Amino acid sequence: MAPTVLIVDDALFMRMMIRDILSKDGFEVIGEAENGVEAVERYKEMRPDLVTMDIVMPEMDGIEAVRQIMKIDPNAKILMCSAMGQQPLVVEALEAGAKDFIIKPFQPSKVIEAVEKALKS
Amino acid sequence: MAERKGLTPLQLDALREVGNIGSGNAAVALSTMVDKKVMLSVPRASLVPLVKVSDLVGGAETPVVGIYLHISGDASGSMLLLLEEKSARELAHLMVSGMEGGELTVVEQSALQETGSILAGSYLNALSQMTGILLKPSVPGFAMDMAGAIIDFILVEISQSEDYVLVIETEFDVLQHKIRGHLILFPDLGSLDIILGRLGVTTD
Repeated sequence: MAPTVLIVDDALFMRMMIRDILSKDGFEVIGEAENGVEAVERYKEMRPDLVTMDIVMPEMDGIEAVRQIMKIDPNAKILMCSAMGQQPLVVEALEAGAKDFIIKPFQPSKVIEAVEKALKS
Repeated sequence: MAERKGLTPLQLDALREVGNIGSGNAAVALSTMVDKKVMLSVPRASLVPLVKVSDLVGGAETPVVGIYLHISGDASGSMLLLLEEKSARELAHLMVSGMEGGELTVVEQSALQETGSILAGSYLNALSQMTGILLKPSVPGFAMDMAGAIIDFILVEISQSEDYVLVIETEFDVLQHKIRGHLILFPDLGSLDIILGRLGVTTD
């Protein structure tokens, strides 16, 4: 069965791009969210195998959303996808429970590689 | 102008280097996104009277697309990606294959907004690495208007207390595509000492 993915990003364009990359490689994108609050709600409903998570978003940022999702499911697998690659933020996201961090803009192959690694972790 | 705030030539030079490294990193990001070569101008760093800022980008009445965000963290300020309307359309078409001409679609607008967000992110990542200060961008705003109106809107908070604004500006070109834009960092003058201190060029 194809692994299921929830895509979280406030930019429609980026959600389409990630969906495209993952669908082409056999993943099943089961949902999208455009802020942290929605991400937590969608996670509860859908229990995806993996979440891709942006950081800078309205309502609730991605790092806070990771914290809340990890409270709901300590085994959640979350991959950060953000343009913000500053060391303190990467560390904060990983400490919150994210499995890995990829910096935008990214090559499709890097996304797949990181997603597969996060799923195995 | 520079003397007014006591910025020395060495300090202005250091701020130009901020522009150089920030926009250099942003150019790599843009080049990756559109898979084209991107050229940069030599950055300008200057204290500019508020009313003159739009002259730097071709005049207050030029129709542009602006993507702007505020910076918080160890230092504060604003960041602006300005594209002349034609350039913005061309860039949108490069990223989202669709109909040429006409109004920007929702997806094209989102693509431009995300471009602003990624370029600002790359710029600030480099700046953060260089200075060791954390710089958090806000969610990007998007506007299509005359350059003057967009710049006034961004600078409205600063203009309440200052007549001058520090501008670090770089012009970029996507080769073969007539896409030209400006990437501008407006550090809050209150944060200037922190930035200059980290660059090792304090006045005192």
